[in-house]
Amino acid sequence: MLALLQKLQDAFAPSRPASKDEAKQRLKLLLIHDQVDLPPMQLERMKTEILEVVARYCEIDPDEGVEFRLNREDGQVSIISCVPVRRVICREA
Amino acid sequence: MAECIVVTSGKGGVGKTTTSANLAAGLALQGKSVVVVDADIGLRNLDVVLGLENRIVYDLVQVIEGECRLKQALIRDKRVEGLFLLPAAQTRDKAAVKPEDMQKLVRDLKVDHEYVIIDCPAGIEQGFKNSVAGADRALVVTTPEVSAIRDADRIIGLVEAHDLPEPQLIINRYRPGMVSRGDMMNRDDILEILAIPLVGIVPDHQDVIISANRGQPVVFDDRSIVGQAYRRITERVLGNDVPIPNFDEDPGLWTTFKRWMGFAPAREAV
Repeated sequence: MLALLQKLQDAFAPSRPASKDEAKQRLKLLLIHDQVDLPPMQLERMKTEILEVVARYCEIDPDEGVEFRLNREDGQVSIISCVPVRRVICREA
Repeated sequence: MAECIVVTSGKGGVGKTTTSANLAAGLALQGKSVVVVDADIGLRNLDVVLGLENRIVYDLVQVIEGECRLKQALIRDKRVEGLFLLPAAQTRDKAAVKPEDMQKLVRDLKVDHEYVIIDCPAGIEQGFKNSVAGADRALVVTTPEVSAIRDADRIIGLVEAHDLPEPQLIINRYRPGMVSRGDMMNRDDILEILAIPLVGIVPDHQDVIISANRGQPVVFDDRSIVGQAYRRITERVLGNDVPIPNFDEDPGLWTTFKRWMGFAPAREAV
């Protein structure tokens, strides 16, 4: 009877995304990384370093959310990044 | 004393990687410290089956070539204590690794871990030779099909030619319905041909595909019949004599329904 209750509970539990959608999402990311031969951890490192450079010139607004990802369109891979800036830091000439 | 087990088959697509992932995770669930090594250089996939693909920094070839330390390349699975993955390189070819490299790698892994599971690539060439080089024993995976069993027979001979003890067998993608109709070779048919000890039968079931979709080894799910099958295989690999259930009779719709409701006993063990 407990097993039955468990099954009913499962049936009405808030469901995860369909496993095939999870599969497709994971696969898309994998293919991009395979094509450019850039492991996800390396991408993360690159993101951190690029943001450090940007932060030298601009004040970044972290609350707005920094976007940094690989994109694949028509077999061409590009890096898409969107960095919200509060203000540009004035630098002495 | 640590042990290294190679999972092999000869034929591709019979479930070596799924078996390796679930055996390694099963051993970790039993409290063992386990490293599972993807030996399929250039076509890595064990990371994806385990759902660890986003955490790879270094790989097996970089360890062998001294570009990083062994510990840096091991990915710790956060879902279970004691499970580690050593991923294959994705952009190198098999010639990057020699059998002596694998022997040294396995020796080094055995220092800190009780089990080293090697996921062997398909075929009988370099990748196979590398995979068996450091192993203490072999598990041969087959499906109840003529081509898979033929290749398994070939692999059993090659394993023994590499001075390993007699390998043990896992029958994968077993379909009880087809077996009961006489349309699929049953366990006795297969054992009669291959004549090696059986460690387990894994039924052909949708849970395998769903768990692979999510990158979640099915052995974690103790309510799945496939998860249970892998738990029994783990027990038998550990030397515990748990029975292998008889999947051979089709229970029929009514019994299946009663089981689902919890009013009928689970399948009897033989």
